Parts: sequence; C-alpha cells; structure tokens
Amino acid sequence: MANTKTDEKLQKIAKDLLESGEVNLIIGYTKGSNPQRMRPVFITKPEEVVKLTFSSNAVQDLAVFLKKQEVKKYGKIGITVKGCDEKAVNALIQEYQLSRDNIKIIGMQCNGVIKQSLADKGETKVSETTVYDKCLICQEHTPVLYDFLVETEEPELSISGNVKPYAEIEKLEAMSAEEKNAYWAKEFDKCIKCYACRQACPLCFCSRCIVEKNMPQWIDTNSEEPGNAQWNLIRAYHLSGRCIGCGECERACPVNIPLMLINEKMARDVYNLFGYKSGLDINAKPVFGVFSENDFNDFIK
Amino acid sequence: MSRIGVFVCWCGSNIASTVDVEKVREEAAKIPGVVSAVDYKYMCSDPGQNSLRNVIKEKNLTGVVLAACSPHMHENTFRKAAVKEGLNPYFVEIANIREQVSWVHEDKERATAKAVDLMKMMVEKVKRDKPIEDVRVPLNKKALVIGGGISGIQAALDIANGGVEVILVEKEPSIGGRMIQLDETFPTLDCSSCIMTPKMVEANQHPNIKLYTYSEIEDVSGYIGNFKVKIKKKARSVVEKDCTGCGECWNACPMHKNVKSEFNLNLSERTAIYVPFPQAVPLVPVLDRSVCLHFKKGGKCQKCFDACGPKCIDFSMQDEIIEETVGAIVAATGYDLMETSMYGEYGYGKYKDVVSGLQFERLLSASGPTEGVIKRPSDGKTPQTIVFVQCVGSRDPEKGVPYCSKVCCMYTAKHAKLFAHKVHGSQSYVFYIDIRSTSKGYEEFVRGTMEQDGAVYLRGRVSKIYEDNGKLIVKGADTLSGNQVEIAADMVVLATGVIPKKGSDKLAQMLGISYDKYGFLTESHPKLRPAESSTAGIYLAGMAQGPRDIPESVVSGSAAASKILGLFSKSEYEVEGTISSVNEATCVACFYCQRVCAYNAITRKEIKDRSGNVVKVVASVNPGLCTGCGACVNACFSKSIDVKGFMDDQIYAEIKSLAV
Repeated sequence: MANTKTDEKLQKIAKDLLESGEVNLIIGYTKGSNPQRMRPVFITKPEEVVKLTFSSNAVQDLAVFLKKQEVKKYGKIGITVKGCDEKAVNALIQEYQLSRDNIKIIGMQCNGVIKQSLADKGETKVSETTVYDKCLICQEHTPVLYDFLVETEEPELSISGNVKPYAEIEKLEAMSAEEKNAYWAKEFDKCIKCYACRQACPLCFCSRCIVEKNMPQWIDTNSEEPGNAQWNLIRAYHLSGRCIGCGECERACPVNIPLMLINEKMARDVYNLFGYKSGLDINAKPVFGVFSENDFNDFIK
Repeated sequence: MSRIGVFVCWCGSNIASTVDVEKVREEAAKIPGVVSAVDYKYMCSDPGQNSLRNVIKEKNLTGVVLAACSPHMHENTFRKAAVKEGLNPYFVEIANIREQVSWVHEDKERATAKAVDLMKMMVEKVKRDKPIEDVRVPLNKKALVIGGGISGIQAALDIANGGVEVILVEKEPSIGGRMIQLDETFPTLDCSSCIMTPKMVEANQHPNIKLYTYSEIEDVSGYIGNFKVKIKKKARSVVEKDCTGCGECWNACPMHKNVKSEFNLNLSERTAIYVPFPQAVPLVPVLDRSVCLHFKKGGKCQKCFDACGPKCIDFSMQDEIIEETVGAIVAATGYDLMETSMYGEYGYGKYKDVVSGLQFERLLSASGPTEGVIKRPSDGKTPQTIVFVQCVGSRDPEKGVPYCSKVCCMYTAKHAKLFAHKVHGSQSYVFYIDIRSTSKGYEEFVRGTMEQDGAVYLRGRVSKIYEDNGKLIVKGADTLSGNQVEIAADMVVLATGVIPKKGSDKLAQMLGISYDKYGFLTESHPKLRPAESSTAGIYLAGMAQGPRDIPESVVSGSAAASKILGLFSKSEYEVEGTISSVNEATCVACFYCQRVCAYNAITRKEIKDRSGNVVKVVASVNPGLCTGCGACVNACFSKSIDVKGFMDDQIYAEIKSLAV
C-alpha cells in the first residue's frame, strides 16, 4: 500500500532526527496484525523509518513507554503523539520524569481514533459514533506542544451533540451514596488485580507501586473486596489532577471496568474546584503540589 | 520481645472523674507484650516519675505508654525520666486521655472505652518504636537584624554586647525608625531624639555591628544556624567611607523646595541629595535619583559633585548584592500609620490643618519643620484651639481595624499636654472611646493632662469636620452628657491607627514565618514564646508583632537578643529526631514532597556510581529545616518518605489495634 502524505512527512521527520543524531530512538506506530490494528514500533536505524505510519487506528498512548528503563537508556528520544497522548509527555516533564531537552515531540494532528471494538469489525470511518468518548470532548486535536507537526488528512470530526460522552457520569452524580457504592461494588467485583490499568498508564511511573508495599500492606492484594475497591480508588486518587484522559487504563482492562468514569469525573472536579487541567503546560505546577490561599475551603465547617 | 509498661494517670480528678482509670489499667494488662500496668494519681509528680523509673528498671521495660495529659504538657518530663533509666527518649508514647477524652466527654462508660482504645493504639505504636537520635546542626554564630528602629537597634546592641557579630539592615537612609520622628515620649516627657541618638551612634560605632542602611533583604534561604541572606544595598550615589557629612552637597543642590520630606511627613521639603534629618546615622546623604536633575536632564547638573570636597559622589553607583551567612534572624520591621481616606468626613488631605498624630509630632519637634513651634500648616499661625480625635481607624471593624492601636491614648494625652505647655492659654479637646493607660505612670499622666493641663475629654465620636471662616468646625457627640457638641478649632489631630510596615508580609513569606490577617508577624506561642517566630532561628521584635509602646519594643528587642545569645551559647543546635527520611531505593524523584514542603526542607540528591556517573536522582531531607510535619508523607505516591517516630508500620498497627 502506498504511503499517505501523512506517513511520508512523518517518516521524513523521523529519518532526519535519526540521521542527525538528534535522537537515538523513535517511538511510533506501525501496521499491526490486521489492517485495523496498529502496534508500537521502536526505530533506531534511519532505514527503518518506512515502518512508521499513522491513522485513526493509532489508538495506543505511546507515552507509556517513556517511563520504561529500557527506553530511558536511549537518552534522547523522539515520539509520535496525538494531542491526548502529548499531554502525558507534558505531565511527565512537569513531574520531573522527563527532561524537555531529551524529547523530540512529533505531534500528530488527529480528529479522533476509532474504537478498537468497531475497527475490528471493519469500521474505517471517523464519526461521532465510532470514536472514543475522549475524542468527543477533545480540545487538543492539534497537540499543545510539539517540535514537529504532522497535519491530518482526515476530515474534521463533526459533532451533533446527539452522542453524549461519559453520559454515565451524570447518572452517577444523581445517585445516592448507597446507589453509587452499589454501582462501584459491582464493577470492582470484576477486578482480577492484573494491574493492566497501571501498566498501560503513562503517569503510573512509580518503580514500586503502593500496592507492592508490604510492610505494612495497605492494600489487600487478593482480588476480592475490600482490596479491589482499595486498589481502584487509591489509583484514582493518585491520578486525580494528573490524569490526562488518554483512556488507556479502561482500554487495557480485561474485565471492562469503566475506569474513565472515575478519571473523567475527577478531572472535572479538579477543574471546577481549582481551575486546573493536567498536561497543558510543562511549566505549570501540578495542582496537588501547590497551596494557594484562594483554594476553596468550604469543606471546613 | 517487647516489654511494655502502661501508666494510667488520674490527673487528680481531671481524668479519673470521667474515665474509669482502673478499667484502663486492667485492659492494658491484657495486651500481649504489656508486662506492667499501673495507675497513679499524679504521674507527673516526683513520686509518679520515680515509680515510672522503678518499673522501667525492675521490669527491664523496652517501651513506656503514659495514658495521661497532652504530650505538649509532659512528654518531655516522662522522656527525661526514661532517659535516666537508659531508655531512648522516643520509646515513651503518650495516650492523651485528658484533653482528648476526659475534658471533652461526659458519658463515663464511653469515655473509658475511648481511653482504652487510645491506650491500645499507643501500645502497638511503642512496640514498633525504633531508637531515634536528635539531629545536631552546626551554628554560624552571626545574627541578622532586619529593621533599624528602636527594637532592632536594641536587639543588635544586646547581641553585639554579648560578643556576637550582628548585621543590621535598614531600608531607609538612616537608622532610628519611628522613634526618632517623635518629639517627647510619654509618660516621662524625655526628648525622644535625646535618648535615641546615643543608641543610634552606639550601633553605628559598635565593633560587632555591621550596618547596612538604604538596604533591603532580597532573599533568605537556609535554616537555623545556617541562613543564607542576600542584602540589596541600593545605590546611594555617595561613597559612604569617604563622606564627611559636611552638607556642601545638599546646600548646592538646586532642587530646593521641590521634594516633600518623607521624614517630616510632607510638612517640609528636601533636596534631591539629602539626609533625612540632621542627626541621621550614618550622616551620609542619599541621592534620590527619581528627582535628581543629573538623572532627569541627561547628566547636565552636577552641582553636588562640584561642591563635594572629598569627591565621594558617584553618579554611576549600582545596586549591590551582599551575601551573608547568619545563624539567627530578628525581624523588627516596625509599623506604618493607617490611611484615613475612608474617613472622608474628617477631611484629612482636604483641609491642611487636619493632621495625623505623627505629623503633629514633627510640628512639636525641635528638629522638625517648625523648629518646635506649633504652627498650623495652612497659614503658619499658632493654633489656640486643637481638637484631638482618638481611634481613627482603630477599634472600628467597619471602616478600619478591630484592634486597639494601644499607643494613641497615651500620645494624644502627651500632645494635649505639650500643646498646653507650649501655647499658654490654649485649649484642647479630646474625643475618645475609652482611655487605655495601663502601664506604669500612664494613668497619672493622662489624669495630669486633664486636670493640670486642662484638656477637655469628651467621650464620643466625631461625625463631621468642615471649614468655616478660617476655623475647623468639629461636630461630635458627648455621650456622657448626651449632648451634641460643636467646637471651632484651629487644628485637628487624628490619632490614626497602627498597621504593619508595608511589605512586611512579603518579607515574612521570604523568611517562612507566619503573620496574622492584618499582616502582623505572629509569635510561636502568644504567651509562652512571644519572642520566637513559627520558624526556628527567626525571632521577632517591636511593632512588627502588633501595637506596642517604646518600653515594650525595647523589651522585645532584648528578648529576641537573649534568645539568640542563648542559642549561640551552645556549639550546636539540637533538632528533634522526629523528621522525615527518604527510602532512596523506591523514590522516583517526582518531587511532590518538595512542592508541598512549607519549610524548603527537601532537596535533590544525585546518587552516583564509582566512576561518578549519576545513576539516580532522589529526594533528600535537610534535617535542619524539617519539622516532621508529615506533609511530604501524604504527598508521596509510592510511600517512599516517612517521618521517624511516626512510621507507616506504626500508623498501620495503631489503626489495626482498633479493628475488633
């Protein structure tokens, strides 16, 4: 199949970066086992850049690899990122996990990625019914920070408003505490403690996760209550004000816990209370790392 | 194997009347690891402490739990007793069953159950205690005093006389502060400058005092014993060491009558190159570049330069940053007077003869704009009738501040008295809310103003002041007689309230010390630690803490000095060992701990391999700064930071002890 203009441009940028020695590694997407699937690819040689491609099937957030020691050892790295994923890069810089000097950001304009479940069934069209919820609320179709920008050839995503992203949140907000507890008890009951959510998350970068601390063991590790709720709620708290909404945890979850409902709700609350959105500014202080006299304190009665 | 002793205190009836202390003792005895449980009427008494020591010795205890009052009260008492028996002081834990139980609950049964729970938690905690060594911090035996008013000067002199080097920093061109602006001082009527100038001169000449005037604090970092201070010495345009203070320069300056004198509160003029007042220390002029013709007209005018004998005027002088390392700091930043613009009805600013109390001081002062002859600003005539209005801004939560400015009652009485002494046959009226004259000789002083000097005191407030036919008509209420009064006065003096010095909040932020909602610096404890700030090694003095008179300011300066001399009498400073420590193996250097640390105690540490390559960056705790507050522990996602004595496993065991 002939390369699209997008791919040509992407490959040229990657080739130049590798040839000039500005980066030692490019993380990008390549064709997967079927036409509607893409998988990550790690390129160190200029001649291999032909493998790089991008389309509305580039679902995975590749920023997750930036936390890995195997990747870090390359030093200077180039990465292909959509607007949502790029926010993870910013958040990693904000939290000192990455130096801006060590990363070349190849920003990919994106008008939405197709839900993998639909793509597997042959869906190829980007529309409000085929993309992820995160795409419907996306404000960063063009990444907020990049060294190179690759424009999209896709038509703009038209949003009629008929599809309500994260519609469950409003339903949950209307529930009583008992109903909410029952809802989440049912969801968390499914959890098998595989920690795929953590592994897929670009911002879960602790080398020893709190769940692995066993003296004392704060979180029960068997996949039953109360350990399941402990795990999922603590993870949600650890990501509040930090989650950039890439949705990888939910996509990775083998038992389909709607984790993005928690993350999105947290993000909305943080924005309403503190006016902060994660990953938009590498120079911003993370919201829970600052104290402001103007912080709300209505909860002190 | 733990060998724990539990000691339940009755605190007389304080605890025993609400908590069944015997039941607490019985429950303690059942806990595995508890080898001794006793109850006693007063554990803090000598016999109580002796019994504690005896049990430690006889039962060879590895840990002690006292179910007693707040650790604030007697933790140290019991720690010392334990240390005498060879136990690490941190093996003593307190279950607070007084402030947290008996004093706040009524139902004896439930209170007892809570007391048992608190005791159980502490038993589990003490089982997991590890010996902690206090941290010793070296001391740089040099002090910084910020503010050259009376309290700052007093502090500097006392420290210097104790044999310690002092750096005294003053924002204005001269030291002396507010006190040097005053005429005579209550209640003894000694001349302020007569008693102040010798102190200023002494401070300037003291071999242990380094004086920086016209200088500001630019930055402060570090901790007790080791503060790094950056001082900005503003460009004076005059070389201090060469200047003789002869005055040729300001006599030559063509900018006469153009610039209002700050020192005389706009009641007179000064030149562009000037000393604020004749007794200034150091007697070295400052060139005010914002008005100097040399700077405004492209270097043409240099009359001062030409007139200067030793040629010490330097138009090219730059601001200079001086770095000093000190072990302790005194913040004596002083006060300002409140604006009175919110009292439009008093006409301050509109009528020239309505002046503030401090302006009136300048009119009284022999070194003031009228050389001590009271002349009203509008036409220079000597007033025959003056109305004094107290509490302008003070004690007025609506328009001003709710607090009392403390000195106004006294200085108004002094003003009225001096007015009577200087202008014979004159009459003064004082509007007041209450008279506050509580120090030695104060009440007699006010009485004298009323009875000997004939000041008429009217209890009530002024509603309006307006000008009519060359007179100021003051309308007010005399609430004691219930009449409205109207006085035709030649002058009105407003006793404006006291507020913290402008910019002192910024300085407090730089120093990392707390201040109240008005901006006054707050003490570590309002009663028992009045000279200490909330940060170790930083002390407070003078009006920066709140309204006070001269003797109190002097006392507070001396108090701060004595604290510093006490601190410096030791070779090292001991910090409680209950501070944070980082697990470097699991730290991922996200530095949330650093972001939330209010004490700047977290720094970056690079771990290097043998050949010097950085293999890892981790957070590191500066023991001199850490207070063990635990904010970092909460912020750490991977639980890689812990406070010694409050370790994760201890907290966990405490919580678990409650799970039935």
